[in-house]
Amino acid sequence: MNEQRRQILEMLAEGKVTADEAERLIAALEREQPETPQPGAPRQKPRPKYLRVLVEDNSSDPPGRVNVRVPLQLLRAGVRLTSLIPPQALTRINTKLSESGVPIDLTLLKPQDIEELVDQLGDVTIDVDDPDSKVQVFCE
Amino acid sequence: MIPQLVTVRYRRPDGRWLRLYVPVLPVVAVLSPLLLLAVLAGLVACLATGMSPVGALRGTWQLLWALPGTRIEVDDGQTALLVSVR
Repeated sequence: MNEQRRQILEMLAEGKVTADEAERLIAALEREQPETPQPGAPRQKPRPKYLRVLVEDNSSDPPGRVNVRVPLQLLRAGVRLTSLIPPQALTRINTKLSESGVPIDLTLLKPQDIEELVDQLGDVTIDVDDPDSKVQVFCE
Repeated sequence: MIPQLVTVRYRRPDGRWLRLYVPVLPVVAVLSPLLLLAVLAGLVACLATGMSPVGALRGTWQLLWALPGTRIEVDDGQTALLVSVR
């Protein structure tokens, strides 16, 4: 609650203004400050730029640590490169994947879909906590 | 923006750091004859495999363009490696 609104409510409590006057004053105050965000309102999150991977391995002595920061733009560029894979290569990859028990048809995977996947990575947070190790994947 | 400086730091088991700062543009300028050969070889490989040479060049350029900001840090306690692209 901002200071002016509090003053109006105090004036109402003290009987200096009527309820109607207080309502009009508050309405006037809101007209003056239309852009002020409400305290509880959700704020627009900044668009993430990096994918972070943090790994801490405490099972060994001294402990090991991996810290990787990859720009999401780099992921997008890499994804665009996959669209250059020739169809015959994709067919061979599909055959090998099927033989390995992974029946995924890569020809159905469109670059737009993968780009959308990268766009949605901003909301992904993976947190694996083990007594000996810890893995965190998130965007920032 | 294309990468301007690649920093490689390596911590040896005795605790001493080896630092290597690679200014990309001067190195590319020095290695440009070799790079030209590599690009030509890549174009031939693209034509041989049925890939689009223009798409491959564009994709490689976009990859290079997106590299700044990449940071890889691996520390196993005794040795450590840090690669940073700016």
